[in-house]
Amino acid sequence: MNFVIRCFPLLSSWRRALGALRIMRASLVVGIAAATLLRAAPDLPDLFAARVKSVVAVEYMTVTEVERRPTITMGTVIDANGTIILQATAIDSRTAVWQLKDFRVYLPGESNGVAAVYLGQDAFTGWHFVRVDASVRDKLTPITSFAPKAAAGSPKLGDFVWGIGLRNKDEDFIPYLMQSHIALVTALPQRTGIAQQEVAAPGLPVFDGAGDFVGIAASSFGQTYLQFSRAGHAIPISLVNVEESSAFLLRGEVLPFLGRIPHSVSGRPIAWLGTFGLEAMDRDVAKFLNLGTQSGAVVSEVMEGSPAEKGGLAAHDIILALDGVPIPQLRPTSVIPTYLEREIERRNPGDVVTVTVLRGSQRLDLKVTLGEEPKLLREAERKYFDRIGATIREFVYGDAIARRVKAAQGGGVVVQYVKPSSPAAIAGLREEDWIKEIDGVEVKTFADAIERLNAIEKDETRPDFVLLVSRGSESAVLRIKLR
Amino acid sequence: MSRGFNHLLDAVVRIDVREFEFNGGARRYTASIGSGVILSADGLVLTNAHVASPRAVDLSVTLSSLERVSAKLVGWDHWTDLALLRIDMADAKRRGLKFTHAEFGDSAATFPGETVYAVGTPHGLSRTVTRGIISNAARYFEDTSGVDGYETGAFNTWLQTDAAINPGNSGGPLVTEDGRVVGITSRAYLGANNLGFAIPSATAKQVVERLQRDGEITRSYIGIVPGALQDLENFYALASNTGVLINSVDPGSPAARAGLHPGDILLAINGTKVDGRFPEQLPGIQYRIASQPIGVRLALAIKRGAEVRDFGVVTELLESRVGEECAFEKWGLSVRKVSKAYARANQLPNDDGVIVIGTQTGFPADVAGLSRGDIITKINRQPVISLAQMKSVHAAYAANPQPTLFEVERDRHVSLFILKP
Repeated sequence: MNFVIRCFPLLSSWRRALGALRIMRASLVVGIAAATLLRAAPDLPDLFAARVKSVVAVEYMTVTEVERRPTITMGTVIDANGTIILQATAIDSRTAVWQLKDFRVYLPGESNGVAAVYLGQDAFTGWHFVRVDASVRDKLTPITSFAPKAAAGSPKLGDFVWGIGLRNKDEDFIPYLMQSHIALVTALPQRTGIAQQEVAAPGLPVFDGAGDFVGIAASSFGQTYLQFSRAGHAIPISLVNVEESSAFLLRGEVLPFLGRIPHSVSGRPIAWLGTFGLEAMDRDVAKFLNLGTQSGAVVSEVMEGSPAEKGGLAAHDIILALDGVPIPQLRPTSVIPTYLEREIERRNPGDVVTVTVLRGSQRLDLKVTLGEEPKLLREAERKYFDRIGATIREFVYGDAIARRVKAAQGGGVVVQYVKPSSPAAIAGLREEDWIKEIDGVEVKTFADAIERLNAIEKDETRPDFVLLVSRGSESAVLRIKLR
Repeated sequence: MSRGFNHLLDAVVRIDVREFEFNGGARRYTASIGSGVILSADGLVLTNAHVASPRAVDLSVTLSSLERVSAKLVGWDHWTDLALLRIDMADAKRRGLKFTHAEFGDSAATFPGETVYAVGTPHGLSRTVTRGIISNAARYFEDTSGVDGYETGAFNTWLQTDAAINPGNSGGPLVTEDGRVVGITSRAYLGANNLGFAIPSATAKQVVERLQRDGEITRSYIGIVPGALQDLENFYALASNTGVLINSVDPGSPAARAGLHPGDILLAINGTKVDGRFPEQLPGIQYRIASQPIGVRLALAIKRGAEVRDFGVVTELLESRVGEECAFEKWGLSVRKVSKAYARANQLPNDDGVIVIGTQTGFPADVAGLSRGDIITKINRQPVISLAQMKSVHAAYAANPQPTLFEVERDRHVSLFILKP
């Protein structure tokens, strides 16, 4: 009720200034304000105390060949089962699921973490899902509890917004308040609010003055500063606040998708079109091609055997529409590829999508049946050989793309990791080397490579072995000395 | 000092160079200073390729008499980092300018510990003599972009010396006590103490002869990257000092077309045995291949597994990765032609297109968003095949500026740009 007490002196000074007639109107205003108070109790400390129950800090370990690396990130509670969403960037996309261990959830202000399980990543939203142990679920409030009642309008320019930040682990993740006003609402391609100042920790919710959920803070933007040397030379540098953000996805980009909890930890099924290198078409180019203000994206390559290839897409086609819906005009145009990727990931393997492309001066409607995304890098099988000092990874579709070969030409295995100063490192083996032969014999499959490297590692009498690796357009024969 | 040494001093010159470059999206001039040594009474001057290149527009030679006379480039060879100039003899005669000329010594006879002198113009300090010893008579190093972005060092070893070598010494002679030129000083490790390198006279003599005769040096290419066999003889079941490892085969090269594989062992070229046990022996092998005529079939004896057989490989002309350069000033764009060697090294499907090497801020190419490293594949939907074709499009643009559509590949992503007047 603090708000009310602070509010009245303001109104009474109005009354004094404006005279008798205005008193009537002023008291009418007071009446409306009081009614609002009864409904939403917009008392910031109270609102804050209730909404802190929707936010948590999440700690997990990334287990590599030689270390356990802790990461702390922030998440928002989305349901009564203790499900928490983390931003896409909270976990390195190259990390294999099995490397992620020991998820713990910390309630704000608490020093003891509670065990949690990792549920996987949703391809469309990019969110990672984590579920906390049942013991603390009753201390959490899903963010949906603070969703506005039906027919709430979109957040508007100048709206007051506030959010929550969490201090560091050694301060028990004490929650603190940030507040600001909306300075810009734009599509990147998701509807995004940008506040004047930092308004919440990335991954945590943003609210309005009534305590209604407005959106979830995304990663912050880089801000350019000038760094002056002693000689007075200014060097522009870009600073990003990683702890607090002024940008947030509006609730319309969040609430409808909270049900996308992955069915499996792999996050599959993931729809796949199979175009490589989508590049936004510049506005001037559209004008030049007599496309007016139409948006588009150039397809750099069509992957062999992909749904796109089967559907008749070709390299250098310009995609103009999906299922008859033209690509919207987005600013900056560089977010158009993200828009298209999301439009595909929103769909399911097996769905048919009509892709409208411009090829030369021809407009074509191509029907493409989406497939299942080929095995991702993070899903590739791996094995670490301690004596050799290297991790070998299965050759997946993405490896073929990176090496400009056809997936069918695959074969071989890829070096995922080389331990510093190990026999492999001394011999000159490098990460991302593509191993084609072991001891002069071609490597056909991952299993084949593992079997042979196992045998080599076990053989204590063996002085060395020889790898043929490919690196860009070059190759090299490396002798790895074991004793 | 000996008479020979004093004679040599009168043959060492300072070279002032003004050259153009295309880096910033325009043709610009830069000036630099190097050293050189006069080799003949008719005014041939030997220097480094990184001092005097075909980009030079103005070459001025300062004789030991301190008189200046202009010179012209006879030819250059970045692979050995050598260039040959000729002094404007008509002018020299008219002015009665006198100079001596140096004699080559035998670089193969130099030995570690032998006293040598470097003579040159370090930091513009003309005719500076520094003294040291031969530190290593057969140093091997290759540099894929050592001479203004061009490859160097694949076909020769180098003399290493501790005689102080500084910027500006480049192209000056490394001489023995009797004043004979055993090397042309070329490079040094910056930040290290007295680790300098010179091209041996044995290499320089040949290069001078061929540049004088033909104005250029052509070499053969088959597309193998040799590797030292040291420590691998057991694995390949080879006697020591037998053959050289084929470490890599350039995609699309004559060797690749003939079916050579990385991991093959090259035992002999046209019946003559090859020994590539140590890295220092590799330039000699490269040199043997490079000195073959272009377009001939070489018989390479190859050991693969237990089998030995001959492969016929037809040589082709060795090209640099660095193609011809050009600036299109109305666009504020400088480019370099994609060469065959560049296309192979970067796994491009063919050698069409040009690489952007610079854009000028505020000019159409920069405003449209082109940047260094982009490969321009099409202009107004026509494939870019040659610089000449691009020049004609640019000329048309200069005459009547119209929005022009560029198709560009950047890190395998295709983008379209409009260059607007």
